[in-house]
Amino acid sequence: MVGLSISEQHFVKGGIAQDLRTDGRKRLTYRPIYVETGVIPQANGSARVRIGGTDVIASVKAEIGRPSSLQPDKGKVAVFIDCSPTAEPTFGGRGGEELSSELALALQRCLLGGKSGAGAGINLSLLVIKEGKVCWDLYIDGLVISSDGNLLDALGAAIKAALANTAIPKVNVSTEVADNEQPEIDISDEEYQQFDTSGVPVIVTLTKVGTHYIADATAEEESQMSSAVSISVNRSGHICGLTKRGGSGLDPSVILDMISVAKHVSETLMNKLDSEISAAEACEDES
Amino acid sequence: MVMRKLELPLSQTQKVRFQTAIERLQSPAEGHGTSEVDDELLATVCGVVVRVDKLVYVRTLRARYKPQVGDIVVGRVIEVAQTRWRVDLNFTQDSFINMHDDNVQKRRTSVDELNMRNIFAEDDVVCAEVGEFHKDGSLILRVRSQKHGKLDKGQLLKVDPYLVKRIKPQFHYIESLGIDLILGCNGFIWVGEHGHVRDPMTKNTRKEQSHTPLETRQTICRIGNAIQVLSNLGFTMTLEVIMETFKLSNTRNIDIHDMLGSEFHVLVTENEAERRHG
Amino acid sequence: MAAKQGAAATTYSPKPLVRTRPPIFKDSDLDWTRPDGRGFHQCRPALLQTGAVSSASGSAYAEFGNTKVIVSVFGPRESKKAMSYSDVGRLNCDVTYTTFASTGTDHKEFSSMLHKALEGVIMMESFPKTTVDVFALVLESGGSDLPVVISCASLALADAGIMMYDLITAVSVSCIGKSLMIDPVTEEEGCEDGSFTMTCMPSRYEITQLTITGEWTTPNINEAMQLCLDACSKLGEIMRDCLKQAASASEELT
Repeated sequence: MVGLSISEQHFVKGGIAQDLRTDGRKRLTYRPIYVETGVIPQANGSARVRIGGTDVIASVKAEIGRPSSLQPDKGKVAVFIDCSPTAEPTFGGRGGEELSSELALALQRCLLGGKSGAGAGINLSLLVIKEGKVCWDLYIDGLVISSDGNLLDALGAAIKAALANTAIPKVNVSTEVADNEQPEIDISDEEYQQFDTSGVPVIVTLTKVGTHYIADATAEEESQMSSAVSISVNRSGHICGLTKRGGSGLDPSVILDMISVAKHVSETLMNKLDSEISAAEACEDES
Repeated sequence: MVMRKLELPLSQTQKVRFQTAIERLQSPAEGHGTSEVDDELLATVCGVVVRVDKLVYVRTLRARYKPQVGDIVVGRVIEVAQTRWRVDLNFTQDSFINMHDDNVQKRRTSVDELNMRNIFAEDDVVCAEVGEFHKDGSLILRVRSQKHGKLDKGQLLKVDPYLVKRIKPQFHYIESLGIDLILGCNGFIWVGEHGHVRDPMTKNTRKEQSHTPLETRQTICRIGNAIQVLSNLGFTMTLEVIMETFKLSNTRNIDIHDMLGSEFHVLVTENEAERRHG
Repeated sequence: MAAKQGAAATTYSPKPLVRTRPPIFKDSDLDWTRPDGRGFHQCRPALLQTGAVSSASGSAYAEFGNTKVIVSVFGPRESKKAMSYSDVGRLNCDVTYTTFASTGTDHKEFSSMLHKALEGVIMMESFPKTTVDVFALVLESGGSDLPVVISCASLALADAGIMMYDLITAVSVSCIGKSLMIDPVTEEEGCEDGSFTMTCMPSRYEITQLTITGEWTTPNINEAMQLCLDACSKLGEIMRDCLKQAASASEELT
């Protein structure tokens, strides 16, 4: 928890009102973003994203599983977040657990779309190997290494980068199997499939401090927030999920305004992130 | 090395005897962060090896602050206790400002004890001088001159303590910009609008908070980011270096926010290399 | 035949619930009717009642179609010793389902979502050092469970005499294909393409919580928001009436 004296609080808020934040940014500017991919060799895909002092790792692991009986034509995706006490002592014990589950829920909302699967960032039907029998289970794990605000955006970006880095082995399934038997599967060692991540949205969190709202708040600024709205936007400019944090109410027109601002901000963020990801991928290929 | 002044002819055996004797003389004394294992002196902490005469010690890179009496420090109040304030200085032990310090409070009544938060409240940033060590190792801070006391209208930056040298003065008033800069020995640096170190006797009034002019705020941000860059690069903080970095960002027309980007880091390093060799 | 009919009337047999997956709509979007025959923009009839549990400081029962919920509020009572001092009150929320309420799905996140919906509206500073417990029990899950729980909880809090800025009402909208359906039932929720859940303070015209899943275009969001705001203000009136009735009934008694 960041403690600020009353005059510092006043200074931070004043800066936001004057469109010059304590680190020199404008209200809607992001801190520099660095992406590194392939940081965890055991995973099918992984990425580390740093936004200023916030540092997170996301990894994607794929395992063979069975589709659920309700949705036999879809694979499964699970998102877990771990806020370890290494990042901040307050994450130890229950404090970290609560934050972790809150972040995981928000990310699930943003990535997995509605119950029917429409609007999902990850196309779950591509994960099916044999309908009703075999599919890929994707386990997306996020780890917060150090926290300086705006964890959700950083985790969203890290997951997007990790998915872009993910390679899933090709699987051959024996075609003729009786209805009630599990088919034999043969996982290839050489052939890999890449993910299409163009549909994965980015998350933009707008934090309301005083009468203004800012993008990419630092921990200092977050301690002064009244409420925050996290909006995930995909490449076609559609909203793929929205969560609000903080108790205080917002006027409906303000929320609509925030949504349109988020759309605008997401474009720059998406382009920046895409170029960072491809640079990181190229860098990894070289080494 | 020792042979330099001794222009004496020495036979082979004399040389060997002389050298062993010299080596024994130079045998190091164990200092902080070292330990002798199997007749070998090993470092037990990560840091820079320093030799003073025979004493060898290791100065840790990211150590906490080691106070010395007379240091000017900047800290944050973390607790208001019965008759004193507990201050976080990035020091392993607790540090306190006593209420019975002459300059904090002239009259000491029990009513004043109830109103301690009027002087310093939790989370307030204060500037003080290291007064003395207590028996149990905790530290007593003094709020002595007009310059000490509560700081406002500015921002606090935290750097590694070893980057700030104990060079007086630690208070700087940059007149041309109207900025106060306090380089606390404990690595806490304050950049703020000038003239707002208030007499501790004046009470906390929230009304008088007025907006910092945009231009002053820009300067504060720019100096803050300059310090951040220098800290990232591990350069020692002195007024000259900070101001030079500040001017560099100005002459190169670098946006305040872009100062934290990679390009400016490289520029500062190049500039520093130029300065040291030029 | 007549005898047979009479025989059928005397023996009671529960009507089996029809559990079929609704058709996947493609071009026939417009012809489709909702499982309970409502219009797309029509909410289920709501039955609200305060004072459902006599031992609690305040309680309420809500029935929206098949969704039946009881919420009871205990406190404010002194916080446990283990908790550190705080000059604002604490709110503790718990949402549980009866074992027969629904099939299979668990809703662990509902407790924290209820907490978030309520924390902004309760004047926490009015009961320092104390805790208010809000326990919600879903007797039967028939869709839009969370919004019903939230609305019912605000009614129970009002019944318990806890200071609030306003009543809280919550409504959700499902998007299936191109149509928006307010107050969806379980079958509709199961195949929705997107959901939009809003919690607001109707008299202050402020949104306290908003959750969107699935892909939405801006016009759709605008429409859903308008629908929800409208429904919330109407629900707010119903809740107010319910409280007024309870108050006047207790006045008559004294």
